[in-house]
Amino acid sequence: MKTIALVPAAAAIACLIGISSIGAGSAVPPVAPGVEPVPAAAISKATSVCQNCHGPGGDSVSSTFPRLNGQQADYITAQLKNFRDHSRSDPHAQAYMWGMASQLDDTLIAGLAKYYAGQKPQPPQSGGALAAEGRKIYVNGVTAENIPSCQICHGANGEGKGAFPRLAGQHGDYLKKQMEAFRSTLRDNAVMHANTKDMTDSQIEALASYLSND
Amino acid sequence: MSNQHAHVGLPGNLALGLMTLILTALPQTADAVPSFARQTGLACEACHTVFPQLTPFGRTFKASGYTLFNTSKVTDINALRQSVLSLSDIPPVSAMVEASTSVAARANDANSSKISTDFPQQASLFYAGRVSDNVGAYFQLTYDDQSGTIGIDNTDVRFADVAVINGHNVIYGVSLNNNPTVQDLWNSTPAWGQPFIGSPALQMPGATTKIEGPMAQVVAGLSAYADIDNALYVEVGVYRSALQGVSVANNGNLDNDIISSVAPYWRVAYEWDWNKNSWEFGTLGLYSTIVNPTTPAGNKINLSLQDAPTDRFLDTGIDSQYQYIDDETQISVDARWIHETQNLGATNAAGFSTNPSNYVDSFNLTGSYYWNRKLGASLGFFDVAGSSDPLYFGTLNGKPNSKWGTVEVDYLPWLNIKLGLQYTAYVEFNGASSNYDGAGRSASDNNLLYGFLWIAY
Repeated sequence: MKTIALVPAAAAIACLIGISSIGAGSAVPPVAPGVEPVPAAAISKATSVCQNCHGPGGDSVSSTFPRLNGQQADYITAQLKNFRDHSRSDPHAQAYMWGMASQLDDTLIAGLAKYYAGQKPQPPQSGGALAAEGRKIYVNGVTAENIPSCQICHGANGEGKGAFPRLAGQHGDYLKKQMEAFRSTLRDNAVMHANTKDMTDSQIEALASYLSND
Repeated sequence: MSNQHAHVGLPGNLALGLMTLILTALPQTADAVPSFARQTGLACEACHTVFPQLTPFGRTFKASGYTLFNTSKVTDINALRQSVLSLSDIPPVSAMVEASTSVAARANDANSSKISTDFPQQASLFYAGRVSDNVGAYFQLTYDDQSGTIGIDNTDVRFADVAVINGHNVIYGVSLNNNPTVQDLWNSTPAWGQPFIGSPALQMPGATTKIEGPMAQVVAGLSAYADIDNALYVEVGVYRSALQGVSVANNGNLDNDIISSVAPYWRVAYEWDWNKNSWEFGTLGLYSTIVNPTTPAGNKINLSLQDAPTDRFLDTGIDSQYQYIDDETQISVDARWIHETQNLGATNAAGFSTNPSNYVDSFNLTGSYYWNRKLGASLGFFDVAGSSDPLYFGTLNGKPNSKWGTVEVDYLPWLNIKLGLQYTAYVEFNGASSNYDGAGRSASDNNLLYGFLWIAY
């Protein structure tokens, strides 16, 4: 993959599609002084491989593939390592990510995590009765039904923190599938299983509606 | 791939004649290749709804030259730290077997049976995967039980790379292939269109367009393409004849259906993706000037390839594909319309056509639904129509018209094993619904029930 040091073939295609200026580093996010830039290898991997499913900058189109833009770096790091050592084994992890993560080293994983954490996330949608119901569960939990407040770990606005993932702006269908997978232990996570085991389908729908951007 | 492949070891004209017969007589079928899964570490579902239909990611993988890999490799660099070797440590080899039984409504002739069993109907070996960092190949050798020989089948060798140009992600590449549209990314174009498998015993209409099969495995094409933001796809290329088992340069034969100079090919498509949906709309075409053409009626001009007159065929088409894909439901709908104008200068002068020019329109509409990639049903509607020319098309009323439909149900106990039952029903065949051959045979006499087993490993 190139970002582009102009090769003749690319120049020809640029002419073909009517692109007049070709700039190097167009996918590189701006870097503030004193902040270490995202390694080029990570940007290359993200733009040539990961974005085929996760979209440009991690803003995926299909709800089969989670949005990664603005996701917590520690969470991405942990998940990629879990894919690599097969400790995360839900169906999509096996079908897609076991292979994708198998040859990633720790340096590249750290670079990818940094790259996606630095991309602008989608805001969650707001409004609607279902979303309002979801917000109540998200903020307060449902004590009588053993559902704790989600914001304690995932942040007041669903932005996540460290190993706790950003939920805000994610695909609703993806959020729903993950909560169902935690509930059924298809996705193995003891804490999230405890948090979701008593959730009803309608509560899951409501939470997904509050947090998602579809 | 297809049931269509060339056969090595036969005399030139006989081989070509057999080839032409097979090319025009059999439905196209297509494959899935587990070596891609081994190379990428991705399950079939990443690239296929159900094999061989591609998902959006499958299209990207193909455009990228089959080079994505997630396995260890053997590498080497030179003194300038440039990569000079990048071999996957497991060769991307796959195998495929098809077996089937067919029951026709009525036997094809007074001597034949209505029932036939083919084991194997076809057996193939593939090299399908990366060759180096930017080069990949889909190469298929097929044993075909109709000829009892092994021959070259669909082949697509690619160079591909990715560039970010002015913020646009561009996959660009070059394909060397042997079948117009075998390099295409959508299942709405001929080489990979439904039905993906068909009975060798099924009677197929005599008329077809050049881009829908007659050139498969008897041409070599070189095309350049760009896939921009996984949305806009542009490709231009040229094809030349590349017969199997014979060489037009030195065999001394008056070979038939040879492309004069090169046949230009073009393709433009746009795909919209949203949530679990994708919709593609595109156009494609091929312009071929043919030396020593064979007519659908079977007449051939046999003159020196150096000064023989030619017929000219312009195929222009539009296609569209819609897909909805999630874990439980996989829906694909494909449509294609090809219009072929036939300027029959050579054929008409030889007295093999009534008109100096004809046309053929071919329309396909197919759809499939799968539940959990396990149980599926497909429907297809096919229509071929054209101008009236008894001499050229060789039909009783002069029309090339045929109409038929297919219904198929599939069961996949595993993602790489498909059991299917397919029924083909003809409404019109070679110009008429009844007595199309003057001997009392009806189009529906060609209806056929076909059961198959398809294993890819």
